[in-house]
Amino acid sequence: MSESSGQTPAAGRAASPEATIPSKRSSDCFVSVVAPVHNDADIVEAFLREVIAVVKREYENYELVLVDDGSTDDTAARVASFLEQERCIRLIRLSRRFGQDIAISAGLDTVIGDFVVVMLPESDPPELIAEVVERCRRGPGIVYGIRAHRPSESLVMKVGSRLFYWYFRRVLGVDLPPNSTDFRAYSRQSVNAITRIKDHLRYLRTFGTYVGFGGEPFVYQPRPRRARLRSRTLGEAIGLAINMTVANSTRPLRIVSVLGLALSGLCVLHIVYVLLLHAFVRDIVEGWATQQVYGSVMFMFMFVILATLCEYVGRLLGEVKDRPLYFVLEERTSSVLLVDEQRKNVVTETD
Amino acid sequence: MPTSGSAATSDRAEVDTIIVGGGFFGCGLAVHLRRSLGQRVVLLEMEEDLLQRASYANQARVHNGYHYPRSLLTAVRCRVDFPRFTHDYRECIVDDFEKYYAVGRDFSKVTAAQFRLFCERVGAPIQVAPAAIRKLFDPALVEEVFTVREVAFDAVKLKEIVLRQLAECRIEVRLRTEAKCVRRLEGGALEVTCRTPEGEDRITGAAVLNCTYSRLNKLLIDSDLPPIRLKHELTEMPLVEVPDEVRGRGFTMMCGPFFSIMPFPPRGLHTLSHVRYTPHCEWMDGAAAGWRDPYAVLRRAVRTTSFPHMIRDVARYMPCLKGCTYVDSIWEIKTVLPKSEVDDSRPVLYRRDCGLPNLTCLLGGKIDNIYDIVAVMSAMDETRRA
Repeated sequence: MSESSGQTPAAGRAASPEATIPSKRSSDCFVSVVAPVHNDADIVEAFLREVIAVVKREYENYELVLVDDGSTDDTAARVASFLEQERCIRLIRLSRRFGQDIAISAGLDTVIGDFVVVMLPESDPPELIAEVVERCRRGPGIVYGIRAHRPSESLVMKVGSRLFYWYFRRVLGVDLPPNSTDFRAYSRQSVNAITRIKDHLRYLRTFGTYVGFGGEPFVYQPRPRRARLRSRTLGEAIGLAINMTVANSTRPLRIVSVLGLALSGLCVLHIVYVLLLHAFVRDIVEGWATQQVYGSVMFMFMFVILATLCEYVGRLLGEVKDRPLYFVLEERTSSVLLVDEQRKNVVTETD
Repeated sequence: MPTSGSAATSDRAEVDTIIVGGGFFGCGLAVHLRRSLGQRVVLLEMEEDLLQRASYANQARVHNGYHYPRSLLTAVRCRVDFPRFTHDYRECIVDDFEKYYAVGRDFSKVTAAQFRLFCERVGAPIQVAPAAIRKLFDPALVEEVFTVREVAFDAVKLKEIVLRQLAECRIEVRLRTEAKCVRRLEGGALEVTCRTPEGEDRITGAAVLNCTYSRLNKLLIDSDLPPIRLKHELTEMPLVEVPDEVRGRGFTMMCGPFFSIMPFPPRGLHTLSHVRYTPHCEWMDGAAAGWRDPYAVLRRAVRTTSFPHMIRDVARYMPCLKGCTYVDSIWEIKTVLPKSEVDDSRPVLYRRDCGLPNLTCLLGGKIDNIYDIVAVMSAMDETRRA
């Protein structure tokens, strides 16, 4: 690490003699923390307090960006009350709910840090911020969290998720580390790369692999802030699996093309067979069964092919529309009223 | 000398108008009152010299309308005043730099097409910037860059012009004289109590013009008069040495939590201002928190620069700005009317009979507002005469 040792803070000190800049161990790096929130009024304050305590202790320069993904409760108001007490917090409110990955993307689009930590208030432990940043500083573009254990869930989900990860790795050739979460640290370089991807179907977990820059796993124990974590239903999980597959690979399309080609070959063979039969064998009565089997097999594959094509055509349509990913309702920044010493200057008497 | 007692009438006041605050507006109005109306005027300034505070500590921009795509009226006013100001004060105008406005993609309140249309509507010259300039921006974050016509003023030269005008008009200027309070004498004249290095002094005038910008309410409150609702911000503008690509050029990103980097003629540096990081804190006069003396806030603020924040954000849009070297920061109080938070407009506050008859309070946001104020003043005088 080249220790440029923060030229700018030093210059700042020289210019304003009153400034007191405490020396922190990571004084030369600027850390941004991004957290998407959605109807998190019950936990957001505790989360904020913990994160603020950690970043204040560890860093001289930091910012905390909360992206409110269209909350309908008073999450935004609760965050707003922090803006008056703590410095370097920003609240970005999206105009409606766009989904967690887009909310995180909106945060990544606006952060200024040299290193960016993304975390979910529901389950990610703020005390690990310093550690993931430190790892990220040592080289990898992304340090991604792996939860030490999956929360208890049904057998179908367990088997399903295994199958999903296997399929991704073996069939699609996309290395999606099992049990990876959104708790991640990004270098500035990788954030710049990721913010260039404007896909509407966003799965930041796979973008990390896509942009390269090297990744490093980081196993941690999630710390739930709720008794019952919000989890996906089976339907949502299946939908997500299909979307992620389609978004990340055209390989199913290739498989379908190969399948279609193979089946057309089979058709040609069948035609040749029928013609030969017709030419050389008289008195054909059997064949009804063959026809039936042949027909239904063909139809089955045809529908599989159609279904796959539909998925991709649908995605194509979505991306071609080229709409903005999200709309920002407002951005609010910390506006801390001056510290206590200013209180003395309040004029109560009017001479 | 102090005209106390029942005999004092407005005729017996020492001068016609006492102007409190020797900023650009105070000086400009003194000259106007003297030249157009032949008034006897005295100008009070607490600092050692004129034009030292907000008239100096700002981005030195002479607005030409581009800045206000969300307030058509303000933009049109700028367009009208721009040629006048650049003509009347041409000696202090600095126009030897190129000026570009860029429109951001995300988080921007205008789009490039909208901005262009707006400029065409108000008649502000605009065209797409040359490729060499566009190349300085990250296309992923910046939709379009335009070449525009905007100039800066040299605050030190502006002061010289103003001093010359004051001298020509033989206006009495009292420096190191802080107006403490105003009271109405029985005859109707206004008496201003001042603090000078020699002690307390009093002066009477038929009218008082309060042009103290951020300290408008200080004079009102100390005179037992109701304050005006104003919003104050403690602001920081870093002065930077810019890399070669930016030298001789000014850039402004529209219109949201963005930045502007402009030449600052008096120091030969650039000022960097950022919508998000330039205000360090803000407060409202008349709110439950009571009242703070802005100068005391400024004096006691812990001046930890936000430059590390600014430069990181700015370099995302214009990577070459990473090469900026921080030199110093200008700290000042910026005062605006609460109204402009909503629509970004910069109206002029001109309130007559502010608690006392003939006590006028005045607050302008931009240097060229001087013409609006003079126009309003003349119109009001005419109605008064009629």
